[in-house]
Amino acid sequence: MADQLSTTFAALADSTRRAILARLALGEASVTELAAPFEMSLPAVSKHLKVLERAHLIARGREAQWRPCQLQAGPLRDAADWLEYYRQFWTDSFDRLDEYLSELQEEDKLAMKHKGNKSNDKPGRTGRGTRPKRMPSSRRGETV
Amino acid sequence: MMATVPFSPKAELFLARTFDAPRKLVFEVWTDPRHLARWWGPRGFTTTIHEMDVKPGGAWRYSMLGPDGKEYPFDGMYVEVVEPERIVFDGSIHASPEQRVWTEVTFTEQQNKTTVTVRQMYSFESDATRGARIGWNQQLDRLTEFLAEI
Repeated sequence: MADQLSTTFAALADSTRRAILARLALGEASVTELAAPFEMSLPAVSKHLKVLERAHLIARGREAQWRPCQLQAGPLRDAADWLEYYRQFWTDSFDRLDEYLSELQEEDKLAMKHKGNKSNDKPGRTGRGTRPKRMPSSRRGETV
Repeated sequence: MMATVPFSPKAELFLARTFDAPRKLVFEVWTDPRHLARWWGPRGFTTTIHEMDVKPGGAWRYSMLGPDGKEYPFDGMYVEVVEPERIVFDGSIHASPEQRVWTEVTFTEQQNKTTVTVRQMYSFESDATRGARIGWNQQLDRLTEFLAEI
């Protein structure tokens, strides 16, 4: 038996099925509604829905006439968790980097004020070589 | 010459962010260990840089201390260092050297702002990547984000 993640990934490997999932993320929909954006017959769409249903990515209602499709996000989350860790690593690091860069540039402005330098249209660039002139742990306003 | 990934990637991640700082400074905080330790890693983690020899063939080694008190050591090697536009490094989790991560970072400047892109490729045969087709990861990421917003 194929494991759940492999089934999930196989189901997601098709762009039409991803588009269907994106549509279902907005709310449940009938097969006709789901087929509307695609140049595709209803049976062709139904085939895609069967793949998604077997992968437990969607569930379908019981009513014979109108069997609305609903998104089942569980397996999708499991599949994304592993990459999500790395994405989170970078999102957090970028946020911290952004804050740190503001801090550094603010420090440079202050340091220049303290030194009584003339205004410079490139704050923070004076005297900075390839190595920082101070420890990054220096506090704002500290005399350099 | 651009270096090529020394393994067949099983997954890939691409991110970009624009920072309100000149490229020279952004490159500097990526390549100076005292700066790097200040922002590297997820929130709640403390990074200690043990070794960072920023030149092609130079080694890097650091560990991240998690909020759970657990230490995560990583090490690797710089492959390309083109100041101030590009850094490429190969790395792995110390405990499992077969799990490699290849990272390409680019820096472009426009009007005193710097856009950083990170492209990361993974050699892992993890449950999540086994049987997956390379290339859909980014779509999946977007879809997951989209779902999270609902």
